[in-house]
Amino acid sequence: MSNVRYRYRSSAWKQEWQDLIRGACGGFLFGIPLLYTMEVWWIGSSVTPTAMILALITGFVVAFLLNRTAGFRKTQDIRAIDAVMDSVEALAIGIICSTITLILLREITPQVPLHEALGKILFEGVPFTIGVALSTQLLSGNRTDEAEESQTNESRPKNDEINATIADIGATLIGAIIIAFNIAPTDEVAMLAASVTGGWLLALMLASLMTSYLIVFESDFSDQRKRMQQRGIFQRPLSETIACYLVSLLAAAFMLLFFQRLSFSDPWTMWLHYSILLGFPATVGGAAGRLAV
Amino acid sequence: MTHLQDSTKPDAADQAPPAADSQQRPPRSLPEKITFAAASTILAIVAGLVGAVWINPQTQTPPDVVLRQSAATRTVGDRFYVPFEVKNQGGETAESVQVLAELEVQGKVVESGEQQVDFLSGGETESGAFVFTQNPQQGQVVLRVGSYKSP
Repeated sequence: MSNVRYRYRSSAWKQEWQDLIRGACGGFLFGIPLLYTMEVWWIGSSVTPTAMILALITGFVVAFLLNRTAGFRKTQDIRAIDAVMDSVEALAIGIICSTITLILLREITPQVPLHEALGKILFEGVPFTIGVALSTQLLSGNRTDEAEESQTNESRPKNDEINATIADIGATLIGAIIIAFNIAPTDEVAMLAASVTGGWLLALMLASLMTSYLIVFESDFSDQRKRMQQRGIFQRPLSETIACYLVSLLAAAFMLLFFQRLSFSDPWTMWLHYSILLGFPATVGGAAGRLAV
Repeated sequence: MTHLQDSTKPDAADQAPPAADSQQRPPRSLPEKITFAAASTILAIVAGLVGAVWINPQTQTPPDVVLRQSAATRTVGDRFYVPFEVKNQGGETAESVQVLAELEVQGKVVESGEQQVDFLSGGETESGAFVFTQNPQQGQVVLRVGSYKSP
């Protein structure tokens, strides 16, 4: 009996963890282009407390309306009280994730006054909240079809491994391009490169890897059992996450090169610096791409 | 994993009446309640901080931008770097703050520099440096704030 109760509790916690991670991932997909937009930082810098309260209320109302139809939980939300509670949670997820990202991007530092930090958090957090409330609608794909699932591991030809790996890389590239192509030609990458240095770059790399892992393997966007049956060369969670991060970094470097933000005469440190900064949105897009394509 | 989820979440089709408008999700589990409590606390803290900023009279005062030399002049080759610090001591944000530096030698302006700070919130400090080709110690560096605009 106690064993059943333990399994119930453990399953309930796992379900909640997946719901929260799914919400955060939806928020990143929707909100990350705005986190790399300097005009939004400036709005946050100059906004009045009245506008902050209005932003909070607007975010709540939009999240409430979205939670009635979409939401970040897989269960159906019909009762208004459930939508209200989920909207509070969506706002909190949006505020926490945008705060962490703004700290990583050095847009919030101990030197930034409280009201400026609050303005930035709220004006970045509200779009993030909309992404949280849309997360079940943003991604719900399965990467394997029924025919593939019916094959046993032994009967898979060696070519399937290569095909699955190529599909993974292709999907990562497509997702990375969709999210990061809009950011690559802007001045934000150069601006952020001036302030995000040293240990903060390492922290951003770690955040990119963690976000990618959580989107693909912890958010339960797609059927995890089917995912594990895929036979790509990099199919283990850790190796897939690292390999696809490297693909996203390369994609980021090519996008910066395409838009003349980097040239072959620039020092390699600048290439590394810029690629890691653009690599964050590219990795988020790449992870989503592997689920959606 | 699927089996565990099925065992904890009652099947909606079994429990809910057929009418679509009466569909309800199962009662909130303990983790969901704890998450909601944590989320409410975070939201209350943020709303409280915004309220504190709102009622603080200091945040309502107009910008008061001061500029000063923040450290000794640094010399690299034939260039002289004069570090500066600009601070908004008022409450409201100043936009496009123009800071100027003039190097006067024997009463004449021989070199000048200009910098623009995009945004300077109340209490915020930004720093930078003016670069001269003549030694500032042979004359006097005059630092001043030229202008700003309200956002």
